[in-house]
Amino acid sequence: MPAAISVEDLAKSFIKRRSLRDMVTHPLVKAERVTALDGVTLSVAPGEIFGLLGPNGAGKTTLLKILSCLIIQSRGRALVNGYDTLADEMRVKTSVGFVTSDERSFYWRLSGRENLRFFASLYNLPPARAARRCQDLLDRLELTDKADHAFMTYSSGMKQRMAVARALLHDPPILFMDEPTRSLDPLAAKHLRTLVTDSLNRKEGKTILLATHNLSEAEELCSRIAIIHKARIRRMGTLAEVRSWALARERYVIEVSGGDGFAPYRFDGGRVEVDDGAAEGPAPHAVRLRAELDRGGAALTHVLRDLVARGATIVSCTRYEASLQEIFDMTVEEGNKPA
Amino acid sequence: MRIPAIRKALAFVWRDFLNEVSYKSAFVLHVGSLIFSVGIWFFFSAFLQDNLKEKMDSLTGGNLFAFILFGIAPFSYQQVALSAFAHRFREEQVTGTLEAMLVCPTRTSMVIFASALFDFLFTSLRVVLYILVGVGFAHFTTRPISLHMAGLAAALVIFFLMVLTSVGVGIMAAAFVMYFKKGEVLVTLISSASALFGGVFFPAGALPRIVQPLSALLPITYTTDGVRRALLTGEGIVDLLPQIRVLLIFAAVLLPLGLYIFRIALRAARRDGTLVQY
Repeated sequence: MPAAISVEDLAKSFIKRRSLRDMVTHPLVKAERVTALDGVTLSVAPGEIFGLLGPNGAGKTTLLKILSCLIIQSRGRALVNGYDTLADEMRVKTSVGFVTSDERSFYWRLSGRENLRFFASLYNLPPARAARRCQDLLDRLELTDKADHAFMTYSSGMKQRMAVARALLHDPPILFMDEPTRSLDPLAAKHLRTLVTDSLNRKEGKTILLATHNLSEAEELCSRIAIIHKARIRRMGTLAEVRSWALARERYVIEVSGGDGFAPYRFDGGRVEVDDGAAEGPAPHAVRLRAELDRGGAALTHVLRDLVARGATIVSCTRYEASLQEIFDMTVEEGNKPA
Repeated sequence: MRIPAIRKALAFVWRDFLNEVSYKSAFVLHVGSLIFSVGIWFFFSAFLQDNLKEKMDSLTGGNLFAFILFGIAPFSYQQVALSAFAHRFREEQVTGTLEAMLVCPTRTSMVIFASALFDFLFTSLRVVLYILVGVGFAHFTTRPISLHMAGLAAALVIFFLMVLTSVGVGIMAAAFVMYFKKGEVLVTLISSASALFGGVFFPAGALPRIVQPLSALLPITYTTDGVRRALLTGEGIVDLLPQIRVLLIFAAVLLPLGLYIFRIALRAARRDGTLVQY
């Protein structure tokens, strides 16, 4: 099945604006360029929710803008729903709905319905169909009660739902979402996430490209993620794949009691340390150990056997999963290291 | 024009109408101020007309108030054609709605053209009101304005050509706003020159000889002269061919040039990623 979004070796650099003084005093100096994207390659399957993660200025929004035909890339190729962003601009735009978190992207003195009717005409919907579609979306996004009130009277949650409704006007197969929950309270954000996963993705099979720096949101919604930092994709894959990169060895927390004292030690399959600084103490009379071990189970078996042989009772043994936040921090840190 | 394009254009007009009437008091005040400004010109003209009779008789139509009225009408239109595209584009950039429109399958050129449509319609209404109020004022005096409907077709042709010419410059100004984020200078320069040298408020012949050639470079000069001759003395298309010819040349050069510059600016702004920046 062809990819919903396919990006090959995409690069974008911008000319850094110079001050008038600089241009006058150094007229022959070539303008500096800022790289926003560098050799980005990725593919998003139809029906997938794909997360673009990265700190501010990483290049996420530039990528979304290239895919929406707002910016022309310096190099590389981008296909959306099989259409080239440079050669098939109108078909690309017909295939995509863009959900922005910018509340200012609506006409504040017009009602929600009037706003949607206006944008429906820009999506080429004939008047009768536009009226039906707007009403459907207003109902579905629970905006009907205030549909004829001025947009400026809406709450942040309603404004964000309006952004979703607008993106769905032409029922596109692909949605781009740029920080969709940025200005929402936790409850409104949860409702929006449920809408995205249950309704838009599972029921309607829409492909969703989500740019966010809300890591828990990415963890909850995305089947695959790409971490972008300083214009490049640093990690990409399923969460499990990205985690396995972050932790080359598996980590375990083992609580033991009894035995004849524990000291840190190393062996071929890994290392074991005594955890003195745990925020929450272990069970009474128990000692907490942290083990970093080779994958596959042999090393863990070795450690557990050794502990039992030393007269310890195994109270618990928990595999430790790196959080997306840790992976993100590690990736950013790695990207910040001088080459 | 295809049906979807007309539908889109009407959607823009409806949007701007809703927005405009949402400022209810401003809308009423706008119409009120129009009547006031016509009144000012009326009394000013009456004062000069009575005191400078000889000079007044030399004006097209022989009536200073009618002369000014039919100078202001095309001038207002020119102002809109020059500034509406840049102004609306800038407004959409600043309010943040431009990006939302540009991700829709609608061409940027359509967004800019259609955004200015309401201004043209509103100005048409204003110009008609101006003329009606002006003719109404004059009707109750000893110097009524007699309109020659025989010249209406010629006046409309001249009007249309002037709008095409000004649209060309207006699109250039929008292209400047799009790329350099500033385009007002061009509009202000042409507007001021038109008001001063274009025979809007007084005949270009009243200017010092040394600056008179400047008026020949401005499309508004041929427009005001042509419209006055058509509507105040009843000259037809054949009589006004010299004015029509010059305006045709202006339109044939400035409109394609404006569109070409706009296309270049649009591509450059997309390449530089500055399309929605301001």
